[in-house]
Amino acid sequence: MIRCDIGLCVGCRMCEVSCSAGHYVGVSSELSRIRVAKMEGSGIDLAIACLSCLEKPCLECPTLALSVGSRGEIVLEEDDCINCRACYEACPVGAVGYHDDLPLFCDLCGDGPPACVEVCPTGALSNTEDVEISLRAFMGFDGKPGQKRANYATIESEPIREGWASGVRVDG
Amino acid sequence: MSIYQGNALRVDLTEGSFHWDKTPENGIGGRTWNSVTLLRELDAGIDPLGPENLLCISVGPLTGSKLQATCRFIASAKSPLTGFLGDSGARGFFAAELRWAGIDQIVFSGASESWVYLYVNGDQIELRDASHLAGMDITETTLQLIDDHGDPDLQVATIGPAGENLVKYAIISCNLARACGRTGMGAVMGSKKLKAIAVRGSKPVIPVDPARFDKACDDLMGAIEGHRQFESRRLYGTTRIMESLSDMGVLPAYHYRSTLFEGLEEVGSRALRRDHMVKPKSCYNCTVYCSRYNYTSYSEGEGPEYEAQAAFTVKCGCTDLELAVHVSNLVNRLGLDCISSGEVMAWLMECKHEGIITDDDCDGIDLSWGSKEALLKLPEMIAYREGIGDLLAEGTKIAAQKFGTEARKLTAEVKGLELFSADPRGIKGFGLMNAVNSRGGDHYRGEPTIELTGDEELALRRIGNRDAAHRLKEEGKGALVNYAEHLGLLSDSMTVCKNISCSMDVIDFDLAAEAYSGLLGKEITAQDLWLVCSHVSQVEREFNLREGLTREDDTLPERFVGKPIPDGPSKGTIIDIDRLVEDYYEVKGWEQ
Repeated sequence: MIRCDIGLCVGCRMCEVSCSAGHYVGVSSELSRIRVAKMEGSGIDLAIACLSCLEKPCLECPTLALSVGSRGEIVLEEDDCINCRACYEACPVGAVGYHDDLPLFCDLCGDGPPACVEVCPTGALSNTEDVEISLRAFMGFDGKPGQKRANYATIESEPIREGWASGVRVDG
Repeated sequence: MSIYQGNALRVDLTEGSFHWDKTPENGIGGRTWNSVTLLRELDAGIDPLGPENLLCISVGPLTGSKLQATCRFIASAKSPLTGFLGDSGARGFFAAELRWAGIDQIVFSGASESWVYLYVNGDQIELRDASHLAGMDITETTLQLIDDHGDPDLQVATIGPAGENLVKYAIISCNLARACGRTGMGAVMGSKKLKAIAVRGSKPVIPVDPARFDKACDDLMGAIEGHRQFESRRLYGTTRIMESLSDMGVLPAYHYRSTLFEGLEEVGSRALRRDHMVKPKSCYNCTVYCSRYNYTSYSEGEGPEYEAQAAFTVKCGCTDLELAVHVSNLVNRLGLDCISSGEVMAWLMECKHEGIITDDDCDGIDLSWGSKEALLKLPEMIAYREGIGDLLAEGTKIAAQKFGTEARKLTAEVKGLELFSADPRGIKGFGLMNAVNSRGGDHYRGEPTIELTGDEELALRRIGNRDAAHRLKEEGKGALVNYAEHLGLLSDSMTVCKNISCSMDVIDFDLAAEAYSGLLGKEITAQDLWLVCSHVSQVEREFNLREGLTREDDTLPERFVGKPIPDGPSKGTIIDIDRLVEDYYEVKGWEQ
């Protein structure tokens, strides 16, 4: 799964650009399966894609159009999707995209290396397997996907911001 | 030929209505569209802060694409600071979002009776009440709109109190600290009672010839990553030039009185990184991520860039870097141009030093070099037009008229626009650029950076003259500035970051032509782009001539003319600005 080191992300959105261009040729943020929470006012940036969390609330699909692939990625059977947006709204960290009446899930770019990891200029992104992440702590948050991403980034950033306040600077 | 005609949203703020139009047919995006629109549609002599002025906001066909650093939008109007053509660009993320909303240009006309903001969400376009935002600074406005719409991804361009109060050098900012800084575009926005523009869009930018476009994108990325300044720009951003300008002997210490600044180490780029930088920040789609997030005991925020850092330290004679970083955050929040506001304060301090102005003339504020009181209080007084701030809000050219001839002699402005933080005598291409460009005292029309790197071969290739690469020589500077202006106009139309296109000099007309051709799927040559830029350069000149510009306006401030640099590595250097301007006029084919 694509993970982002919040201490390294500078918010350039090159991951979004490469994801969007890789899947659709065209580029826009909304076409990307990885989205950067850019926190105005706190300086925090965090790229968020499907973390293949232990809970996988997205799988509560009324038509069972979603399943888990061999590497933990969520697979959509497009013909079965009824555009109800349940998965989009269920993800506790807003990692499900939506475009042209279909949900978008990180597919790890199929067989090749994930484009976002390849392009990330700071090395903040990595493709890690065998890491089990629980997002239970974020499941109670009520809001739109963008707000859930922001909530996740805000909570994840607390140690970093505490460090800044106590004098930690970019070089240590 | 028409290269690309985009979608123009026409917003009538008097009527509260909008309709769709097309951008001018003979442009290539950004500034080219805005300048043509303003020449065509404005009458000469209008009040820049009256409803008859137009505020044009443009992106271009390449904005928000895969081409690296296509992150800028350009705001243009008749400038309230200069009375001539005003325009300024901002980086960040607003521009890409505007392009994804399917908008290439917004032209605001008229003026609203009460505060409004423009909300764009895909095809939903509304003018909304902004009375709850009035009085808020740039950070507060941005966060409030994000909260109002429940949308942390909302992109907001806004003015602060300075724009609301028609400060002549008020800015329009996006992402809190990425500003259209120069020529007072924020005041024009304020005069129209337009507080903010908030945008979301989802229409992708799709290249018609992806293979060709990708090749141009890869070529640009390769050129950037292979550049000798790549690493230092990542580490220090634009602040890296603080030390190199000192080495060249062109630092504007104590408001250009000296090029030497004791304690430079403690206010320079390394000190900034060591003491206050907590992380790098990036604009849209850029591998250089040269911006910096700062944290101080006063405040936090993005920046400062070189201009703010130099203005609030060496130019004002201030050795307290933490204070200077905070002042940078402060002017960003208030919505003031850091260059003009820094220049106003440094000029006042010099006037006090010379005994021309006393503290009592400025509401009792201590105007000594580096005064903490002045640096903290004056920005607020200017933004809210309190006390002496009301006069200072008019810019140094107008303010100096009150304080008399001796005070006027110390100003550093061209056509009313305050100068950057370097001594123009020791970098003569920049000096000429400041004298002749369309918006006034400004280095960023295009940057004749060849004279900073001294690359003779590049100078030969670009303009056929090796001498132009020498910063202290006057030969070839007319051609160099003409080239740099074209490249600047190209950059303002591609909406690419000028640190990359002009300062790193990794985009030329050939690469740009490949990018346009690949994106649009038709053959566009470097010559086509050059001709558009030449044409629009004349359009801008025509606009200014119509507003009464004369040969006498194309010069440097009196304090630099005929007087040598007093000390340091460039000691004794004189700039013959008349000769340089004559050379430039000859290159342009203009009457002397």
